[in-house]
Amino acid sequence: MPAAQFDVRVVENRALTGGYFVLEFEAARPVPIAAARPGQFVMLRGDWGRELLNPRAFSILHAPDDRHFSILAKVYGRGTARMAALAPGDPMTATAPLGVGFPAARAGVTQLLVAGGVGLPPLHLQARVAAREVGPRSVELLYGGRNRDDLVLLEDFARWGVQTHLATEDGSVGARGYVTVALRERIELARARGEVIELLSCGPTPMLRAVREIGLAAARPTYLCLEENMACGFGACLGCAVPVHGPKPYRYCCSDGPVFDAREVRW
Amino acid sequence: MNMHESTDANSRAVELNCSFGHLPLKTPLLAASGCFAYAEPFAQFVDLRLLGGISTKGISPLPRHGNPLPRICETASGMLNSIGLENVGVDAFLRDKLPLLRELGVSVWVNFFGTDFETYIECARALGGADGIDVLEMNISCPNIKKGGIEFGTVPEVAHRLTRACVDVTDTPIVVKLSPNAGDIVGMAAAVKEAGACGVSLINTITGMAIDVRRRRPRIATTYGGLSGPAIKPIGLRMVHQVARALPGFPICGMGGILSGEDALEYLMAGAHCVQVGTACFAEPGAIVRITEELRGLMGELNIATVADAIGCLEALPPEVEYRAPR
Ligand SMILES: Cc1cc2nc3c(=O)[nH]c(=O)nc-3n(C[C@H](O)[C@H](O)[C@H](O)COP(=O)(O)O)c2cc1C
Ligand code: FES
Repeated sequence: MPAAQFDVRVVENRALTGGYFVLEFEAARPVPIAAARPGQFVMLRGDWGRELLNPRAFSILHAPDDRHFSILAKVYGRGTARMAALAPGDPMTATAPLGVGFPAARAGVTQLLVAGGVGLPPLHLQARVAAREVGPRSVELLYGGRNRDDLVLLEDFARWGVQTHLATEDGSVGARGYVTVALRERIELARARGEVIELLSCGPTPMLRAVREIGLAAARPTYLCLEENMACGFGACLGCAVPVHGPKPYRYCCSDGPVFDAREVRW
Repeated sequence: MNMHESTDANSRAVELNCSFGHLPLKTPLLAASGCFAYAEPFAQFVDLRLLGGISTKGISPLPRHGNPLPRICETASGMLNSIGLENVGVDAFLRDKLPLLRELGVSVWVNFFGTDFETYIECARALGGADGIDVLEMNISCPNIKKGGIEFGTVPEVAHRLTRACVDVTDTPIVVKLSPNAGDIVGMAAAVKEAGACGVSLINTITGMAIDVRRRRPRIATTYGGLSGPAIKPIGLRMVHQVARALPGFPICGMGGILSGEDALEYLMAGAHCVQVGTACFAEPGAIVRITEELRGLMGELNIATVADAIGCLEALPPEVEYRAPR
């Protein structure tokens, strides 16, 4: 599906715990965003003058119709700092939908959605779509953070009837430790039950590396949603190379990904 | 008639058709090499026929895989890149990429490079034999080639020999893309002109660096990369102006940090015959079309009817009244 560049306005900037915020946008005209797959992303840029040139990439959190979409963000640098200060009515420019998303949920497979920090949005959308189209038991969320405040939007999963396994480093909610501990246990359980599973993951790189190792060791299909520095988001600058095994040493995060098969990633 | 009406009427009368030496251009605004791929990714966003021309990603005889990551990082009013001249190679370019470009009816500039004399010549010969290429833009300035690539772009005698060698193997006009890392930009331009280049493009990116202090690491894998964007515009303008003054009438394609019609007009006034837009196309795939309309509007407003009228029309500042010390 071709992408488009279009003007949007902020409808709502909703603060969550842990410094996270959800930005909801309305497009000036109907755009091909409602069909966006989980993992696909949008490039957003505000009226930032000449100082900050490049747009910022965000996974699409939700796109209910062809005029509206939302993202989840946290302040990381100069671009996201400006976005945190956005108010209803503020304009931005969006380019979307971009990239290739996660494999769709389907009957007979349990997809384990392994999320860390700001990696939640594509898995949140995956769960939303899966619960609606296949049934809430086709996915389970395994979600890790430093503390209770790091885990956001949990009420949505409860509403959809999607099971969650939580882990925090300080033990303030869920199991104490990394989410990968919960993942190992869940894989063992699936093995004992003869359950068919897939791993879908998005989050900080150390977590993704661990998920990749675990998925490969257990010989289960594993898909990682990666992050790289991007200038364009649509395959023009070749800046977002991802090291891979295969006929060529690199593929592109924005146009071949951001979701890659863990076996392919050269880490 | 109020101001607004007169501006509209003037901008309707503005003629953007122009020429670069003997080469006709529909507008003086081209896409810059490495910032427009081989045009395909942009087709979904913009009507490519509205461009004056397209300079392709740099082509080498054999495909190149490019550099390790991270390859890019944003800096104040610009970005650093070290893509490593990744490209599909001459054969795949001619087979898979050139047909689309040829169909657009815009000026097709194929940017190329080698890693030594032989590969430059091989590339010029292979591309020079193909139909539908208007210009071979010879990149002697990329700061990213490890094996002494910087040499071609900074030593006039070497650039002269290389240009002559490539001009000798093709009838397609060769425009040499100069490096701002050269000490003597005028000497470089004069050397390649003398060797038979039909014009020069300037400027390529300027070597720079950025550091992540928390991790104590360079922000791009190769440590140094090429700086582009508005941060380098004053340098690009200065170099275009110097070359234009030293070599009157020699075609110059100016670039570096163009984001608006006003930026483009600055380059024309400094003496560029046409311009390229690079980094701006990443954030805004339709940037060149917007800039074209801004240029048309601004020229109308300033009563500049044609591109030729704009080129080099810069006037000197009036001299200051002489200071006389009180007696
Ligand atoms: C990501 C990137 C890749 C580039 N690749 C090439 C290239 O292959 N060959 C070349 O001659 N110039 C290349 N350039 C330089 C541009 O064509 C241009 O000279 C420079 O970026 C200045 O213009 P700008 O500020 O409008 O981007 C590249 C620039 C960027 C940002
Ligand atoms: S971000 Fe430009 S090619 Fe991927």
